[in-house]
Amino acid sequence: MATTGSTVPTERGAPRPPLVSRELRVPFILLILCFAAWGAAANLTDILVGVFRSIFDMSNFQSSLVQFAYYGAYFALAIPAGFITNRFGYKAGVLTGLGLAAVGGVLFLPASQLLVYEYFLLALFVLAAGLSILETSANPFVIAMGDEGSATQRLNLAQAFNPVGANIGVLMGAVLILPRLTSEAEKTILGPNELVASQEADLGLVLTPYLGIAAVLLLIWLLIAFRKMPLPPVSAALEAVPSGNTAGRLWKNRHYRYGVVAQFFNVAAQTCVWTFTILYAQDVVGVSAEGSGWFLQASLILFLVSRFVMTWLLGIFRPTLLLLVMALFGVACCAVAVVSMNMLGLIAVVAISASLSLMFPTIYGVALQGLGDDAKFGAAGLVMAILGGALLPMVHAAVMDTAGAAAGYAVPGICLALVAGYAVFDLRTRRDPAEVAS
Amino acid sequence: MIRAARPAVYGAAAALALTLTACTSSESQDPVVVGLITKQEENPYWVTMREVAQDTADDEGVELLTATGTSDVDVDSQVTALEEMVADGADGVLIAPTDSTALLPAIQSAQEAGVLVIAVDTPVDPEDAVDAFFATDNLVAGELVGRYAAAKAAELGLEPRVAVLDLAPGIASGELRREGFFAGFGLEQDDPRLVGALDTQGDREEGQAAMEQLLAQDPGVNVVYAVNEPAAFGALDALEAADIDLADVVVVTVDGGCEAIKDGVRPGSIDATSQQYPENMAREGVRAIADAVREGEQPSGFLDTGVQLITGAPAPDVDSRGVAYGVRNCWG
Repeated sequence: MATTGSTVPTERGAPRPPLVSRELRVPFILLILCFAAWGAAANLTDILVGVFRSIFDMSNFQSSLVQFAYYGAYFALAIPAGFITNRFGYKAGVLTGLGLAAVGGVLFLPASQLLVYEYFLLALFVLAAGLSILETSANPFVIAMGDEGSATQRLNLAQAFNPVGANIGVLMGAVLILPRLTSEAEKTILGPNELVASQEADLGLVLTPYLGIAAVLLLIWLLIAFRKMPLPPVSAALEAVPSGNTAGRLWKNRHYRYGVVAQFFNVAAQTCVWTFTILYAQDVVGVSAEGSGWFLQASLILFLVSRFVMTWLLGIFRPTLLLLVMALFGVACCAVAVVSMNMLGLIAVVAISASLSLMFPTIYGVALQGLGDDAKFGAAGLVMAILGGALLPMVHAAVMDTAGAAAGYAVPGICLALVAGYAVFDLRTRRDPAEVAS
Repeated sequence: MIRAARPAVYGAAAALALTLTACTSSESQDPVVVGLITKQEENPYWVTMREVAQDTADDEGVELLTATGTSDVDVDSQVTALEEMVADGADGVLIAPTDSTALLPAIQSAQEAGVLVIAVDTPVDPEDAVDAFFATDNLVAGELVGRYAAAKAAELGLEPRVAVLDLAPGIASGELRREGFFAGFGLEQDDPRLVGALDTQGDREEGQAAMEQLLAQDPGVNVVYAVNEPAAFGALDALEAADIDLADVVVVTVDGGCEAIKDGVRPGSIDATSQQYPENMAREGVRAIADAVREGEQPSGFLDTGVQLITGAPAPDVDSRGVAYGVRNCWG
């Protein structure tokens, strides 16, 4: 079919509106870079847990505070971020998020000079706080950048760059940090001054990618700040204020209530699995530091590919049936990881990512089904379930410290079993008419 | 250490990094040629040493020549390799001597040709026949497991009945480990707690035979010291064959290879091992020769390449590292 310009004739002959308004194309591309940037930062953080453990010679529990700082900031800033965007608009929200995240990246500089772990946690908290605001603003911004009918397509396109960034983040860690760290064996023969020098050198390796991320964020900030753009109004979704009965209705809705719990454990499982993949490879199987990063990379690629496969399968099977099967598959993989402390266990750890790939959107959709206008407020609860990513990795790490590195995978196994329980609940329970908004 | 399969992109990135390193190195630093002569090809201990030497050589912009014997007693191959490396212009050679005296004439010839010679892992006799010696302090390695065994036995409430599985007469590493174990445990040669000491050649089957013999002397053996991990596995074979509950026996050894850490220390059948680091011998050796050529810093004397006590069941007042640390840093 021939096309003219940027519009495509529809079957009825009326021109289809462009995916992104012509005047917002450059801002849209800049926002796509934002999606990639927070994907890179999030998954680079997964690598940091093991890196800090090595540099500061600390326990798994202590090093897991990295994820507590990161996901804790996301949780803590979720509501303020919505307020900023609602009160000051998309551009202010995006600029605030970009600026704060860039500051967080730059804070790695003094932290690496002072050689104090807590300063790195602070830098990570600030970085993640900025990214939380950025994400909260950028998602509705993208939706508002064109015709309402193509909003989902536009958001999907932008979000497709998030896993691209995630893979870049892991690649940066695997190439720039892991192979160049001072080995633990080498540290056994270093004197006190040499140990400090090795810490400085290793923290310098950590600094480089974060300064790079800060530079990219700053560049995007400048490009957005000094670009005049016709801003769409803040969407009704953001302006929506829950009526007095909304929270009560949501609480009474078991599919929603249990859905929030399931999402909490899904995010927890995902964060645990990816955070400790590298440590499992090193501590249980004995993979070298430089080799271990590739198993996390493989997990993310599998996650990405599985998403497409699951999207196809969701068109064939009932979503919660598929959710149940994949959650049980994830539980089985975790069990293999706990019991089989060799390469088979590591392959099982990587395979868990296939089961994770459909969970967030599936739980999201099932929990909000039939909520009507309450869905706008209910969605916030589901997003705040990210708290699971802040808390459960500490439990996983504590189990590793006390019962062994492989045993830690019992934690995501239990999380995924609870997700399976939610799927069973949905499959075996008819929705109460009162749970479905008129 | 297990090396994971690496995707092509990593190879490309590494190649790029190496190319850049090589470019900068060749422009700014003198060319240095380092030789590494190990004892044999198959043993993972030597494989690890060679891999780390190559990685370090790449990082340092140094050309590495490697050669190996056919066994732990193959002197002729090492003599030939040393002569060839001197002829090929090596600035320095790292050698793990298969014989402490038979290689001395070849080493002396190399030194007279201006080549720096550093013994790694195994000493020559006399030790100052080489420019420097980089190795595990075997006395400390033995002492660590000795202290652990004594503390663990006390914690378990055992009245120690000690079996010692030695290496062979006249081999310095074995004698130092044994001396260290006795010192760490607080054991005397005529100590009534000592059931007996037998040679094993560091071999699993001979270790099993020796342990069976000692159990025949005293079925109540509850502390076992083995000079290396194959001998320790032999002792475990004998203990299991005798239906002795391993929970009531403290088994300690020295080396830190991956098989022993994963299949012995992790399940708890071996209570503790002193882990040594061949990678440190290789890395420090290559760096020392590069520094000697470029900056005139001549290496000399003994460099302790480090040792850590690895256990899944720490004993009171004895510093140790966990199994995960042992797996991360094991060789083989």
